[in-house]
Amino acid sequence: MTIMNMSRFVTFLSLFALALFALPSLGLAVQPVEWQMNFQEAATPVAERLHNFHHFLLYIISGICLFVLALLLYVIIRFNAKTNPVPSATTHNVLLEIIWTVVPVVILIVIAVPSFKLLYYADRTDKPEMTLKVTGYQWYWGYEYPDNGGISFNANMVPSDQINKGENQSQVPLLSTDHPVVLPIDTNIQILVTGQDVIHSFAVPSFGVKTDAVPGRTNETWVRITKPGTYYGQCDQLCGTNHAFMPIEVFAVTKEEFAKWVANQNEGKTPAKAAGDKPADKKAAAETAAPKE
Amino acid sequence: MTSAVHADHSHDDHHDHKPGFFTRWFCSTNHKDIGTLYLIFSIIAGIIGGGISEAMRFELSHPGFQLFKDGQMWNVWVTAHGLIMVFFVVMPGLIGGFGNWFIPLMIGAPDMAFPRLNNISFWLLVPAFFLLVASTMVGQGAGTGWTIYPPLSTALSPHDGPAVDMALFALHLAGASSILGAANFITTIFNMRAPGMTLHKMPLFIWGMLVTAFLLVLAVPVLGGAITMLITDRNFGTGFFDPAKGGDPLLFQHLFWFFGHPEVYIMILPAFGIVSQIVSTFSKKPVFGYLGMAYAMVAIGAVGFVVWAHHMYMTGLDVDTRAYFTAATLIIAVPTGVKIFSWIATMWGGSIEFKTPMLWALGFIFLFTIGGVTGVVLANAGMDISLHDTYYVIAHFHYVLSLGAVFGLFAGFYYWIGKMSGRQYPEWAGKLHFFVTFIGVNLIFFPQHFLGLAGMPRRIPDYTPAYEGWNHISSIGAYITGVATVFFLFVAIYTITCGRRVSGNYWNVQPQCMTLEWTLSSPPPFHQFGIQPKVD
Amino acid sequence: MNSNKNNRTLSIILFVVAAMVGMSFAAVPLYKVFCRMTGYGGTTQVSAVAPTPDQILERSIEVRFNAGTGPGLNWDFKPDQRKTRVKLGAQGLTTFSAKNLSNGTISAVAVYNVSPAKAGQYFHKIQCFCFGEQSLKPGEKVEYPVVFFVDPSLDKDPNMQDVETITLSYTFFQKDDPKLDKAIENFYATPVQASQPDSKAREKAWAGTVALPPEKQ
Repeated sequence: MTIMNMSRFVTFLSLFALALFALPSLGLAVQPVEWQMNFQEAATPVAERLHNFHHFLLYIISGICLFVLALLLYVIIRFNAKTNPVPSATTHNVLLEIIWTVVPVVILIVIAVPSFKLLYYADRTDKPEMTLKVTGYQWYWGYEYPDNGGISFNANMVPSDQINKGENQSQVPLLSTDHPVVLPIDTNIQILVTGQDVIHSFAVPSFGVKTDAVPGRTNETWVRITKPGTYYGQCDQLCGTNHAFMPIEVFAVTKEEFAKWVANQNEGKTPAKAAGDKPADKKAAAETAAPKE
Repeated sequence: MTSAVHADHSHDDHHDHKPGFFTRWFCSTNHKDIGTLYLIFSIIAGIIGGGISEAMRFELSHPGFQLFKDGQMWNVWVTAHGLIMVFFVVMPGLIGGFGNWFIPLMIGAPDMAFPRLNNISFWLLVPAFFLLVASTMVGQGAGTGWTIYPPLSTALSPHDGPAVDMALFALHLAGASSILGAANFITTIFNMRAPGMTLHKMPLFIWGMLVTAFLLVLAVPVLGGAITMLITDRNFGTGFFDPAKGGDPLLFQHLFWFFGHPEVYIMILPAFGIVSQIVSTFSKKPVFGYLGMAYAMVAIGAVGFVVWAHHMYMTGLDVDTRAYFTAATLIIAVPTGVKIFSWIATMWGGSIEFKTPMLWALGFIFLFTIGGVTGVVLANAGMDISLHDTYYVIAHFHYVLSLGAVFGLFAGFYYWIGKMSGRQYPEWAGKLHFFVTFIGVNLIFFPQHFLGLAGMPRRIPDYTPAYEGWNHISSIGAYITGVATVFFLFVAIYTITCGRRVSGNYWNVQPQCMTLEWTLSSPPPFHQFGIQPKVD
Repeated sequence: MNSNKNNRTLSIILFVVAAMVGMSFAAVPLYKVFCRMTGYGGTTQVSAVAPTPDQILERSIEVRFNAGTGPGLNWDFKPDQRKTRVKLGAQGLTTFSAKNLSNGTISAVAVYNVSPAKAGQYFHKIQCFCFGEQSLKPGEKVEYPVVFFVDPSLDKDPNMQDVETITLSYTFFQKDDPKLDKAIENFYATPVQASQPDSKAREKAWAGTVALPPEKQ
């Protein structure tokens, strides 16, 4: 129950912080919490299906483990040298051997069917309404919005000594960036991922998204975010010295706010640069994300 | 199986002439001496590799940098830990050590087919290990991960120095060592079995070693080819894996995992064999479903060659390819299940004595099951989106390797140390070692499932504070395991110097479970089976 | 004892080892051929002509374009058009622009793939700048046309029913200039003491290359 309390507390904290900065549609901040034993909250249909499939698998594998454990315990208690001094001479039982070959096959088929459904669902490319191009660099992410006037910026991690030093007190160490990606909710977003120098991996757990950023290849994935909020991810492929320090921070906002943000970005005001000048200040980026009018 | 053995040949000690120290240990051609060298090597490498993992867990016990200078240093140590444990601890221990010692003893052969080749196999490993350890101290080290993926491992900073070349050359030498060893094993097993010991009567340990040797012969050359290309890419301007020169970095991953996946079976099949022997001996029953057990290992080895791309689900493979590799990978659960249930059926109806080796074998069976079922989860390409390259994977492969292969190593050590040294460990010490290790390793690796689900990536020296709780538990587990391992070293030294002397068949192996090594004295004569034993 | 038998077994094993090493090297060209033939990993196909008009289907597909440059290549490279819609079997045309922002002539080669990867076998190019190496002078800007079509047989593939969009991506990588390398080699191979006053040898060594030679001491 601690976990529940913890996540409630964190949710409360994030809500409080958001209220403080009057960012209208920035809902939940989905991030890992202390003693978490499960997935981060799902924010896309793919992530939801992933979590459901995992929970289905968890029942099966727990069942198998408990079954094996029960057999072992029974054997230990019933067939130890004291209780059973004379060993049996059985070495074969064709029926038994057939059963323990066939039953696992059946279990695997039961697993495989939803597994393939999920795989093909996650790979499906719905008609994209916009594209986000992501490029992995050593050690930051570059983002481009080719359908929105070619907005582009790089996102670096907020260094530990600057975390929560600005006005924004809701930054998460090692996960917050100086320039969060802003994406609209309820929109089919095509994400094109490539790597500039070495292989990186673009992963946002809440979105059910993970795609390697391979130099010379452009991999495609997609999201349709269902809830506004702040989401975090990290590079998941070893890419050198600062592999641990190139996080992904996403602001999911409503379509209207996204449109405002895009207009704002394209006004020649170059907020990318402005935000870049004050890397510690997430609020600068947040303000452009949801400008107060 | 060797159900009845005519054992009237262990009295040939009179011409048991041993060479001088240098000749015996440095120019050894005796399979038992080479096996001993391998085991000592494995233990020393294990101390280093294990020490590195303690350092890694210490680093991860809290957020922020505790011990390591920067990420590169962390990556170098992670790489060293992986390569040392795979190539210089598990393989030399299970294959070189127990394989050399017990293949000839269990098939009734006087020695390996090619004793001098055997010597070369071992001595190639020593410079390989020195090169690998030295590579961590040259320039900025090789921080590529054990998977050495290009372009990270090509000549870009910080891998523009000679460190990666040294690590790659170390792999070349270690690979040559295992290929030669495997060739020797196959030849010995095929040609030098005692009369009457058909393939279907071989002990399961020999089956495990035979399949392992085949996997080595088929898989390691591919690694050799891949890292040769990597070396020429690094040093001679070729572009096998460089997109700018028409190459493809993913080709390396295909080649690496074509080797890498059989490699994990190379590490676990000998442990399967050891566990089968132990379970049979201490249950006082022959292995249940012997043929099924033997061919399950063959099946695992064969299917192991067609599942490699399940390590590459995130690289942008076609969806149909991922579907195929999902299906192929799931299939491996079937022969593995056959093995687990056959072990339990072997114990069923038995009269089990819970001596230390049996405890390790029981621990192996249960923990390998846990590692196996998380493998079933990871096999699903869809599911893998959430889990790929997270701590869930770390937990999975440590359950099957650290708690599988390494438990196999300890099981084999306690089972056979009396046979190898003629001296027995104190039973209470072995049991204490087991229970402390069992608690320790589960504390390390079970919470890592939670970290993985929560999204913590692999191979990071620092993490957001939310991950601290489970990481801290995991580190405490590592310290407990470390203490247990130091205790093991004392037990081992005590045993070989002043352990109780034991007879030839000190486990009182029953006739129905008999294998040939128990027909010899403990330790066996320097040259055994002057007269070949016959097997009915 | 049976050492002949052992030697035979060993030779067979070593032969297998050699064959596996050989196969790992053979995998390099085989992998390329495999990708080209099956469209594996989003490898596109090359065709001489588009299908005849009677093969054109009503079903259309959106083709999106994406471009980038590799490390160190100072080119501005982008598609002139974000996307276009083509009928299956109909010829499509688009252009990409590249501008050399550096002050030296640079050769580059474009690598490419389409996504989703399963569409690779249906995406045919008739004309593409990626077929060969491209060279741009300082400040030079070029429009590269790409002529392509989507194979109408895509419509019959049940796996492709959900595909409404195909994205064509290019990345330009700077090419090591073999001509320049050769020239540098010749330059340094020219005997120094004899050529000190005689610049002809140097001129000869640099003939036909684009860059100016550094002053040799």
